[in-house]
Amino acid sequence: MPGSLPNVTHACFALSYLLALAVELARLRWPRPGLRVSGLVLGAAGLFAHSLFLALRQPTPATAYGGLLVVAWVLAVFYLYGTLHDGKRAWAVFVLPLVLGLVSLAFVVAAGQAEVPLGLPWESEHRLWGALHGIFVLCAAVGVSVGAVASVMYLIQANRLRRKKNPLGGLKLLSLERLETMNRRAVTLAFPFLTAGLLLGAVLLRQYHDFGDNWFSPKVLGTVGLWAVFLLLLYLRYVVHVTGRRLARLTLVAFALMLGVLVAAHPFAAGEPRPRGSGIPEGAP
Amino acid sequence: MNLRVVGCNYRTAAVELREKLAFDAAKQDRAVSELTTRFGCEVVLLSTCNRVELYTARPPQESPFDLEQAALYLAEIHGLTPDAVRPLLYERADAEAVVHLTRVTASLDSLVVGEGQIAGQVKAAFDFAQKAAATGALLNALFPHALRVAKRVRTETGIARGHVSVSSVAVDYVRQVFDHFGDKTILVIGAGKMARLTLKHLEALKPERILVTNRSPAKAAEVAGMCGGVPVPWEQLDAALAETDIALSTTGAAEPIMPASRFNAAVLPKRGSGTLVVLDIAVPRDFDPAIHDGDRVCLFNIDDLTRVREQTIAQRQKHLAPAEAIVAAEAKKFLDDWNRRKSGPVIQLLRTEFDKVRAEVLAGILGKLNGKLTDADKAYIEGGFRLLQNKLLHGPIAALQQASKDGESRPLLDAVRKLFRLGAG
Repeated sequence: MPGSLPNVTHACFALSYLLALAVELARLRWPRPGLRVSGLVLGAAGLFAHSLFLALRQPTPATAYGGLLVVAWVLAVFYLYGTLHDGKRAWAVFVLPLVLGLVSLAFVVAAGQAEVPLGLPWESEHRLWGALHGIFVLCAAVGVSVGAVASVMYLIQANRLRRKKNPLGGLKLLSLERLETMNRRAVTLAFPFLTAGLLLGAVLLRQYHDFGDNWFSPKVLGTVGLWAVFLLLLYLRYVVHVTGRRLARLTLVAFALMLGVLVAAHPFAAGEPRPRGSGIPEGAP
Repeated sequence: MNLRVVGCNYRTAAVELREKLAFDAAKQDRAVSELTTRFGCEVVLLSTCNRVELYTARPPQESPFDLEQAALYLAEIHGLTPDAVRPLLYERADAEAVVHLTRVTASLDSLVVGEGQIAGQVKAAFDFAQKAAATGALLNALFPHALRVAKRVRTETGIARGHVSVSSVAVDYVRQVFDHFGDKTILVIGAGKMARLTLKHLEALKPERILVTNRSPAKAAEVAGMCGGVPVPWEQLDAALAETDIALSTTGAAEPIMPASRFNAAVLPKRGSGTLVVLDIAVPRDFDPAIHDGDRVCLFNIDDLTRVREQTIAQRQKHLAPAEAIVAAEAKKFLDDWNRRKSGPVIQLLRTEFDKVRAEVLAGILGKLNGKLTDADKAYIEGGFRLLQNKLLHGPIAALQQASKDGESRPLLDAVRKLFRLGAG
């Protein structure tokens, strides 16, 4: 990475998030206002460093590394907003582990690569379409991640209700209805993005790459699988009216699949591209 | 301090006896007025369903308004015999009375520890007495102090955490399932007293509509009229349940009105994807517990709600020790402050008197030695006199402060006033 950039590393924001999580966990045991403020300050510091890192280093969202970091950033914004907006709920306990997991995964992915692609790919027309494809898929990924967080909270809340636990004891969670709404909105909004991203990706593959090899790459197959799971989720929700618990579990399956898709090597970047016409530069999304 | 609290509570008197000693607004007005004028007391009268207490303060040199006098007065105002009243009463004096009021206000002495009403009742009693000009320096300092401590106890300990009424616990459960209620339907099944209480809590959530069903159409119409609901024929119970979000059931039926087989066959298939919360507070139970799955149907019966209530009360007991520690520390602080207020003016007078004498003597000496002393010499002499004064006063002031702490400062204060002629100054 360029040495001239300010010395903001993964460790800066990952450690801030980790400390914020530790403080929020402590707040569950000792609900003091000071701990809430400390947690917020640490979370905000982590988000600031994270934003600075993304702004200065511009990791390409089309890569697993960049994609994971961008999704983690959006979730960190989600966490901070939730904590500021409704401090009684244990947002951090659910969202920050996910953020930390994504950042760690990005770090592991980056460590396995000789060179991490940097810079936003807007230079040429195909790159612009490729970036658009990547952004659509990332928006869908954010939707699935938010849906996954809501699903985990839903399952815990439903389990507490099933066991008839004291409503005022333990973790402070949102109501089943609110969590279900959050999940529904996240998935419903994510679906058009995923569909658009998938279609755009198919067109780009068809136009610039050899159809056969890339169509069956793990990334493409995973994305198609993810789209199918989304379709199933929407069908079950709006047509069959299955229970919230089943939908929550299926959303978690979609999330796992999405992680696989994000981590999988991109067909445009993987292997030797075989352009049909003018060709497309390596590393394009 | 000449403070007394005399009263009875749920521990010393059964409810039928407490009812006889309770004060309505008119009697309270009369009592506060009489205790002030006839007996020369500062007074606050606290009368709740769980206690009746007279807080009185008199000048230190007068005899306190003790249990015997209180028994006579309570018997007189309520038309009872003193012998019937006397055994029900307890008495706390001075420091014990301060601690007692603070414990009462902080709800440590309540039937349900940590309940939130008592602080408001204490405040109302104090406000009432203040408006009647029945309070003086001591009670005007004591009651705000007790209210402050109660707030501190509630904030800093978990003594008031959770709800302890079955109806409130039911609403807590409902809030775990639903986020907003403007589009929700509540179905009331039966018309028991508990249903009406719980319905009051649920009405506060402002649901879209309330349906009421009962075997007796007249009773259904009566309850519906009370809560602005719509009566539904008993025969349409299944259909009503299918479109309901919250069902509150409290029939007097000997058998469950909704076995799982009926629910699964006639209600569940007609419902959408929304969750149904059933609050079954009937005994025997109206709904088969087997329908509960914590997802599509959340059923809470009277045992579940009572269990949570018991848990909350048990949890509160764990916070009693820290709450008592706060009360003890704050009561001590109040007593120290109060006693300091008493000895403070005398100590100030003593210092002023000595300052005056020192200044006069110094002026005479320095006048005679005028021209023979440097400024440094003058400062040295002045310092010496100040040191002498401080050493002379140290013993009396320390003794006064100690006597104040021990609550026995009055004889010493009188002695100091006489010895140094402070009153005359």
